[in-house]
Amino acid sequence: MAARRLLSHADSAPNPPRRRVRFTFDGREYDGVEGEPLAVAMLAADRLILSRSFRFHRPRGLMCDTGQCGWCECEVDGRPSVRSCQVPVRDGLVARSEHAWPTVERDLLGWLDLGSRWIPPTFYHHRFLRPRGLRKRYLDVIRGFGGRGRLALGRQAGEARGRVVQELETDVLVVGGGSSGSAAADAAAERGASVVLVEAVRDRARPSRPAVRVLDGAAAIGWYEGVVLALDDSTSWTIRAGSVIAATGSYELVPSVRGADRPGVIGARRVLDLVTSHFVLPGERALLIGEPGDLPDVGAALVEAGATVIGPVPAASLRRVLGRRRVTGATIDIDGLRRREAVDLVVFGDRTPNLDLPLAAGAAVESRDGVLVPVLDAAGRTTVTNLSVVGSAMGTATARDSGPVPTGRTLVCFCEDVHAEEIHAQVGAGYRDPELVKRRTGALTGPCQGKYCAQAFARTMADAGVPTDGLPTARPPLRPVRLGDLVPSGDSDER
Amino acid sequence: MTLPRTADVVIVGAGIGGLAAARELAARGVRRIVVLERDYPGSGATGRNVARIRRMQLTEGLCRVAVACQDKYERMGAELRSNVLFYRLGYAWILYDQGEVERMRDIVAMHARLGIRSALLSPADTLHHLPVFEGGEPVAGSVLSDDAIVHHDAVVWAHLDHLHRHDVTIRPHTRVTGIERDDSRVRAVLTDGGRIETPVVLNAAGGWSGELNRMAGVRMPNRPHRREVLVTAPLRRSIEAAVTFYRPSEGWFNQTLRGEVVMGAVDPEEPPGVDQRSSWAFLQRTAALMTRKAPALRDVTVIRQWAGMYDITPDHLPIIGPTAQLAGWWQALGWSGRGMLLAPYLAELLAEHIVSGDAPSMLRQFLPDRFPPTGDDEAPIETDYYSRYGSGSTSGSTAGSTSATVPPASTVTSSGKTTSKPGA
Repeated sequence: MAARRLLSHADSAPNPPRRRVRFTFDGREYDGVEGEPLAVAMLAADRLILSRSFRFHRPRGLMCDTGQCGWCECEVDGRPSVRSCQVPVRDGLVARSEHAWPTVERDLLGWLDLGSRWIPPTFYHHRFLRPRGLRKRYLDVIRGFGGRGRLALGRQAGEARGRVVQELETDVLVVGGGSSGSAAADAAAERGASVVLVEAVRDRARPSRPAVRVLDGAAAIGWYEGVVLALDDSTSWTIRAGSVIAATGSYELVPSVRGADRPGVIGARRVLDLVTSHFVLPGERALLIGEPGDLPDVGAALVEAGATVIGPVPAASLRRVLGRRRVTGATIDIDGLRRREAVDLVVFGDRTPNLDLPLAAGAAVESRDGVLVPVLDAAGRTTVTNLSVVGSAMGTATARDSGPVPTGRTLVCFCEDVHAEEIHAQVGAGYRDPELVKRRTGALTGPCQGKYCAQAFARTMADAGVPTDGLPTARPPLRPVRLGDLVPSGDSDER
Repeated sequence: MTLPRTADVVIVGAGIGGLAAARELAARGVRRIVVLERDYPGSGATGRNVARIRRMQLTEGLCRVAVACQDKYERMGAELRSNVLFYRLGYAWILYDQGEVERMRDIVAMHARLGIRSALLSPADTLHHLPVFEGGEPVAGSVLSDDAIVHHDAVVWAHLDHLHRHDVTIRPHTRVTGIERDDSRVRAVLTDGGRIETPVVLNAAGGWSGELNRMAGVRMPNRPHRREVLVTAPLRRSIEAAVTFYRPSEGWFNQTLRGEVVMGAVDPEEPPGVDQRSSWAFLQRTAALMTRKAPALRDVTVIRQWAGMYDITPDHLPIIGPTAQLAGWWQALGWSGRGMLLAPYLAELLAEHIVSGDAPSMLRQFLPDRFPPTGDDEAPIETDYYSRYGSGSTSGSTAGSTSATVPPASTVTSSGKTTSKPGA
């Protein structure tokens, strides 16, 4: 069982036929189709493991469809920790895995995961003090385990291609150009308001009214007291708006079971994109998990591509995903009967609202059936006066059955490999403040900044007896940004 | 949880200043210590700084104190039975001007006299030791020492666990709403959780200490100024010192033990005031400055930014001790960006002062009454630490005016009365 390219589909691909390119990953040559994301080309070559998790070197691969989970990070052409699902392959591209020894496929440090029970986030608190003479050596060793990407030292300051800083004032700013965002922009323009729409994915925003000014390819990276900063390839936009509408959609809700981070557990929309746009079949035997939503389409596409499909089954019935280096099966409970299915692909459809803007703005969120959603009035306004939310970011289309509450050795935070029992241990030790739990466990502090764990964190805290409304303060930026992309152009030394 | 109705000492602020003072007072036999915190312990500057513990300072007076402060940190893990991750990462001032290099010769000589291991490096040696600066603005040299970093949160937890074992009451999420006093001395602290009668109050409220002083009718010249920080995704170890440059503009960066790079470019125009909001201008300013000096950093990924406050005094030295303005009202504030370094050791001296009634000699330069109580509260403070010492004097201003400003003994003894039974 393996992931593979659907050659028959590729042959019938639309004109012009896409060119084959060759790139290297960890020194080995691979074929790809020009323009497809690096992570997709690797999947087509049945290379599922793209990175290792920070603490316990758990294998990770392509999972999300938003570019935000960070599980596919590797070094690309000398740049550290690049999300390979966002990088188009081309001839001569050189990619390397990070944070693994000797290779990301067979990382000996992966053995750390077997001992993770004895390496809690606070492992150093009462250790490494004796003998006195070895204190620095201990920390040198710990330091050696840290880090991820390599900093390319000795570069010349050539590129100095800063972003032009542009300030915009508008009545309405819509963040996100999907169907809800485009519709909201049109509606505002119809009322005679000046409207700016930012959308990170090019050619996606399709408002029908020409009066809507679209900043195509501009990603909103921060909310600063109502001012939104957005970046595209050439410009840094500072947008002051009378009102801001978040049409930012949703993120995958990774099932809260053990093994849910294994390569081969992939969100439904990404699977659909893989099969129907890139003609790559991510697995031969798939288990579909969650409320129907996108899943019937995914199931049909998989079947048409020749895969065997099981489900969809409710998220609550999934007990565990099996396999160490990739998915080899899953345990599900149906009508009280435990079944073990041999599958090489687990597709989950449940999603949670994207809370990035409401949280950054300091708007209230609440738990609805175990899912955090923004607190909204009848008009869709958050508790921050000039911020409202439309579409799936409201939480209307999210799962009502959010699956099991994470417990025991189930991961809550994937960036930092924080297990549910470690959060319980902190609360039990009297650290009930979410800010302290965050600091003591590292949960919510990794590169995804809580996008993929805020929900599980809140549910685990509630399970431990701390109300869910207490998420730690969100910090900008809304998404990771390369430092060089923040440089204003024509900048001179300020004195 | 109700608040105690009386206490021997009430400490306002559970940052490093308040926690360290509580530890030292408890060690000297003071009972019934209550620490009040408006948010969670370490929520202010203590949880927002990057915890550089350096002996290498610009003036001899500060160097002498810093040596004792670093020693205190080296012992802290063993004393509090909790590792604070004291690590000699190294520390460097990067110099961009030949004049700065010349000036540093005297400072390095002064360091050598005090046993601080620092060295003046040539431009080539600087790049060899810190290749991150290759390809950037040409450096004129650097001063490199073996100074250390700690983990700020680990320092807070080590103190919290220790204070818990010593029955010190710590009340997070409790705000002070007023101070009860008569003509000469403090009587009680009013909070949103009740009133606490106490003969001794320690103001360790960091950025909020000015507000608290005003509640008590005490005037001090310290002012909070926002400072911002950003942190990147972790990288393999590649920057072997915590670096700072003061000129032509001020900025700093270093790698943590986990490999993240923390950095910041200082805005010299930052207005005074309580402000912990992040700004986009900071991101752009920092990106421009760092990529110009260290082009390799342009490919690092910013994942988070935050802001905290420097509580700055006119002479950039903290204000520690009693004040003639109000008996029983003690200060541990105005850290001017050095609270993490200074507080644990100076808390020892402060506790000694509170318990014995006499100011230890090392504390004298920090006593509050070096500033006249009639000072102009609105007068701007020069926030540029480096410029104060720009004239080249290495002895600095720290030892100058201390003897004249030791407060009258009566103030000290009256406030020390109820707590002056060490070992009781």
